[in-house]
Amino acid sequence: MRRRTFLRSLLAVCGTLSFASFAYPLLRFLAPPGDTDKEKKVTLAKKDIPVGTSRVVLFDQKPVIVINHQEKGFIALSKVCTHLGCLVEFNPATDILLCPCHAGTYDLEGNVLSGPPPRPLAKIPFKVEGEQLVIG
Amino acid sequence: MVKRIRDWLEVRIGLDELIRQNLTEYRVPKHINLFHALGAVAVVGYVIQVITGICLLIYYIPHADHAFRSVQDIMTKVPYGWLFRQMHVVGSNLLITAVLLHMVTIFLMGNYKRPRELTWVSGGMLLIITLGFGLSGYLLPWTQLSYWATTVVTSIPTAFPVVGDFFTRLLRGGNYVTGITLTRFFAVHVSILPPLFVLFIALHIALIRRIGLSATPFGKSDEEKRPLTEYRKKTHPHGHPYYPYLFQRQVLMGIMYFIVMFAIVTFAPTFFFPEEATVPADAFQTPENIRPEWYLLAPYQMLKLIPNKFLGILMQIILLAVFIFWPFLDTHKEKNILKRPILRGVFIVIMISLVILMWWGRR
Ligand code: HEM
Ligand code: FES
Repeated sequence: MRRRTFLRSLLAVCGTLSFASFAYPLLRFLAPPGDTDKEKKVTLAKKDIPVGTSRVVLFDQKPVIVINHQEKGFIALSKVCTHLGCLVEFNPATDILLCPCHAGTYDLEGNVLSGPPPRPLAKIPFKVEGEQLVIG
Repeated sequence: MVKRIRDWLEVRIGLDELIRQNLTEYRVPKHINLFHALGAVAVVGYVIQVITGICLLIYYIPHADHAFRSVQDIMTKVPYGWLFRQMHVVGSNLLITAVLLHMVTIFLMGNYKRPRELTWVSGGMLLIITLGFGLSGYLLPWTQLSYWATTVVTSIPTAFPVVGDFFTRLLRGGNYVTGITLTRFFAVHVSILPPLFVLFIALHIALIRRIGLSATPFGKSDEEKRPLTEYRKKTHPHGHPYYPYLFQRQVLMGIMYFIVMFAIVTFAPTFFFPEEATVPADAFQTPENIRPEWYLLAPYQMLKLIPNKFLGILMQIILLAVFIFWPFLDTHKEKNILKRPILRGVFIVIMISLVILMWWGRR
């Protein structure tokens, strides 16, 4: 190998290495911090949500609406609209969840009735344990 | 005394030469109009943003618990704090207007054509940087409006498969807009975008000075009706000296900018502050009527209209690329848009659709 070629390759390798050793930490630095305390269960008393009413609780950092419906019993849905992330509001008179941002509507199952949302609202799993409702 | 200072400077930096090169012997075309001063208006606008922005920086606290309070204090407790905040907010809107007008007039005069393609491209980058300033600054007061508008806008990349979710998380520093997002946007607004801006404005102006200003393609006597084929500095030997000819026009337009700004601050102080902009951010309550600022309304409405989100974003990226690289696509020899009926038609259709989209997006 000629001396000049060798020096040039050496320069390229060292340059790439020192660039990478800076770029990688930078990328990690900017990347969003991971979710640390995930999946803490939330417990609430059944009697706090009488039939026909609803309550909003925080689960996994996001608001979840728990509805106690006359016919369907307890329902737990994420409030985060699947379109662009606004929070839906429940209208007990019509049994419809309406998003204030672009008027997306969902039924009690979370299915999209109208508007731009591409997916149903996330169903949040929960268990009934005696007088308690355990979300998560 | 003045003479001695001049002489002192003359020896060290060559003052006379600088003045000659840049002011009196720098010639501009004869048939120059007020629109040629719009670029200078944008520079004036930027200077105002920098000065008022630094003033706000002295009292503003970039933390989710304090941001809203500190902005309220700027408005009510700090002497003349309201003035600087109003100038910054009104100025950001006027600045974007000025940059857009500047581009439209350049487009109509065909002045992006060879050899000025890169001047246009650097201008396009400046527009994107300016919009970035607006978008990142919008979150800083931490109001209901800024919180939810930012939630909506930062959700847009999620439509992209694979990288979309990561990109949104990168922007927000997590799954949702939180205090982490606030400090990120603050860093972008006050320390990442300003040097980028300086870089591109320097390139923009260096290119303009190197090639020389173009004449309008409309005048009869103008020699520059066709794009240049080879590099030839446009020295405009029969033109007017930059100072005072164009300089005065630039100052006039700069003063107009101030007049409009102070008219809004004085007579319509709530124009850019709807009700949601006075309520602190609440991550658990989305107010009604959330929409981005007016300059993002058209692309925003387009996204809403196209049923497939991915297609919608792809379309915007393509449109943006067409806009930035337009001088390389339009290689037609004729600069005068009045002699190009198709281009003129396309331009009118685009303008009308933008207005319709904006009006639609507002509702
Ligand atoms: C180096 C230059 C700049 C600095 C240091 C700066 C600094 C700041 C600071 C500290 C705030 C928060 C205070 C507040 O919200 O009122 C702010 C807000 C804002 N900035 Fe800037 N800024 C700069 C340039 C710009 C530019 C060029 C634009 C134009 C497009 C802009 C648009 C905005 C907007 C829209 C807000 C939100 C205003 C509000 O609703 O209160 N800024 N800026
Ligand atoms: S964010 Fe819910 S409909 Fe757009």
